[in-house]
Amino acid sequence: MLKFEEIQLSGFGKYPKTRSKLSRPSGVNEIKDFLKSGEVTPRGLGRSYGDAAISDKGIIAESLLMNKFLSFDESTGILSCEAGVSYKDILDTFTIRGWFPYVTPGTKYVTVGGAIASDVHGKNHHKEGSFSNFLISMRILLSSGEIIECSRESNADLFWATIGGMGLTGFILDAVFRLRKIENPYMTNKVLKLKNLTALFEKFEEYDEDYIYSVAWMDIVASGSKYGRNILMLGNHAGNEDLNSRLQVKSKEKYVEKKISVPFEIPFSTLNKVSISLFNSAFYMKARTKEDFQHYDKYFYPLDFILNWNHIYSKSGLIQYQLNIPEDRGQEAVDKVLKKVVEFGGGSFLAVLKKMGDQDGILSFPFKGYTLSMDFPVKKGVIKMCKQLDDIVLEYGGRTYLTKDSILDELTFKKMYTGLWEKWMEIKHKYDPENKFSSSLARRIGLCPF
Amino acid sequence: MSLLVLGANSLIAQAAASHFAEAGHKIIFAGRIQDEPEKFAKDFSIRYNIECTSEIVDALDYSTHKKFAEDVISKDPELDYILIVLGYLGTQEKAQSNFDEAHRIIDTNYTGVVSVCELFAAEFETRKKGTIAAISSVAGDRGRQSNYMYGSAKGALSVYLQGLRNRLAKCGVNVLTIKPGFVNTPMTYGMPLPKPLVASPQKVGKDIYKAMIKGKSVVYTPFYWRWIMFIVKSIPEFIFKKLKL
Repeated sequence: MLKFEEIQLSGFGKYPKTRSKLSRPSGVNEIKDFLKSGEVTPRGLGRSYGDAAISDKGIIAESLLMNKFLSFDESTGILSCEAGVSYKDILDTFTIRGWFPYVTPGTKYVTVGGAIASDVHGKNHHKEGSFSNFLISMRILLSSGEIIECSRESNADLFWATIGGMGLTGFILDAVFRLRKIENPYMTNKVLKLKNLTALFEKFEEYDEDYIYSVAWMDIVASGSKYGRNILMLGNHAGNEDLNSRLQVKSKEKYVEKKISVPFEIPFSTLNKVSISLFNSAFYMKARTKEDFQHYDKYFYPLDFILNWNHIYSKSGLIQYQLNIPEDRGQEAVDKVLKKVVEFGGGSFLAVLKKMGDQDGILSFPFKGYTLSMDFPVKKGVIKMCKQLDDIVLEYGGRTYLTKDSILDELTFKKMYTGLWEKWMEIKHKYDPENKFSSSLARRIGLCPF
Repeated sequence: MSLLVLGANSLIAQAAASHFAEAGHKIIFAGRIQDEPEKFAKDFSIRYNIECTSEIVDALDYSTHKKFAEDVISKDPELDYILIVLGYLGTQEKAQSNFDEAHRIIDTNYTGVVSVCELFAAEFETRKKGTIAAISSVAGDRGRQSNYMYGSAKGALSVYLQGLRNRLAKCGVNVLTIKPGFVNTPMTYGMPLPKPLVASPQKVGKDIYKAMIKGKSVVYTPFYWRWIMFIVKSIPEFIFKKLKL
């Protein structure tokens, strides 16, 4: 008997939504049964923003019950775990013992399976690459029911197609990857308040050698003389000798996080030009150029403090738009995009700009350049504006991030990922000839022919 | 001190065990499905940095229970807590026409638990300490047409535990009857339950841990089920029998 509940399902952006059959298998056998009955869409914690983990066909299989640690080697930091293990599980278990993920996205509510399928990056991408750089191997359940292990050495084609492959090559069962040795849970945190884009691009270079983490918050509402103002945040893992005695003591204690929650969807949009502009101004005014220490939880996951923060976007949801532009004309392109957003007046308060480094992979989003991520409340004209951004991105040889995406059309996607999607499709066809693994996203951008 | 969990693959059992693990107790996971208890033990030993072992046992294979109990006791003389989370919901309709289904419901929820419980009860009785906790259900508080097969087995279990508690109270051994309401587990997944009344396994697990540590006799989890069942039990039979429950 196939167990599922039929509900209105969406990604974290709550746009788009579709009637989906959601299941929560306890193990491989249930997923095999789903595969026999039709299509399967793998899903983790549902933190991709758009429609990567929803589908109106077949069954959505959540990995959340397949969340066991399988082994850990204290001497090398090599962890093996099931795909439903979350960053939160990893952090709660290992930071106190001196280990930390090499690469972390901006939320800890992401599963290992999701991290692979999106090939997630973090504030250190320009220095250390994405999640896959530290991934050693994984086991994947194919549509045939066969389970195969893949790595850089064996079944390498499947390995690379699964990284950033949006869950479309098979169901990732478990993975082996490396953790980073840390001395304590604290981060050195340097904050620079900057007046414009030129200053930011200069500082990116100036501090390139000194910090492994860097990211800039952008005010993408401000126009006129305030246009392009931003706050650059740099960081490193703190050494024990850097900490004062109070933090040294605290770093040995078990960390108890405090959380608040937005308990329900705010029924109308509280986000408009005035409120966002006020927020952005306040955020910028409050910031001071400074250097201090921050606990990793505040440093990497400031938004996780508010559970379900996406509820503030009301029922209609939000669109995340993340682009990456090649390095050489990066500043020019970012400037063009920002101007378009400011002109539209639909800017958000969560706009982030950062440097990206080289990246191996097929559909992995990152490459050497600059990435800008923004969110917009879903309202009239927003999709049209995003399409105009697509044109700028294409003009500069860039691409957008499938994990955030909910608006790309097939043609634009194929232009952005030209030379890559063809290669990926060959591997998809080899391992999933009947397109059993699919999603709304896959059908929308032509990664799964109808 | 250590905890034996019977029915290792239950989310409720794992949630309850996680609190024991955090408090530094050793955990022994026992279950029926090959490799599973071992997998959970491995996960716990990594996650909580504690000693965690596993055993294979089938609640319906009564002849193996004596050896299983002896093994566990000899390997772990410090065994202090036993949590039994064995259950099979089955299908009421099927059980009405197919005695095999009814039999399985009764045996898994009742006979198997009795068989295992008695062995550990004898051991704890001689040691004059220990806690035995078993998951019954609010469904055992009153028979209803929609699931009286499951309910009757759980009801029998509740009465059994009550008697056992009475027997062991004088030698300092506590017996806890756990009565969960609706819990969000694979057993209930996809069933049309009233969402506000469905608790997470984490919530139920925490309640169980607290009740075991405090030496309670009966715990309803979440707490409001005590009141819901109080009302359900106080409806006169001549009215109750006509209700569609």
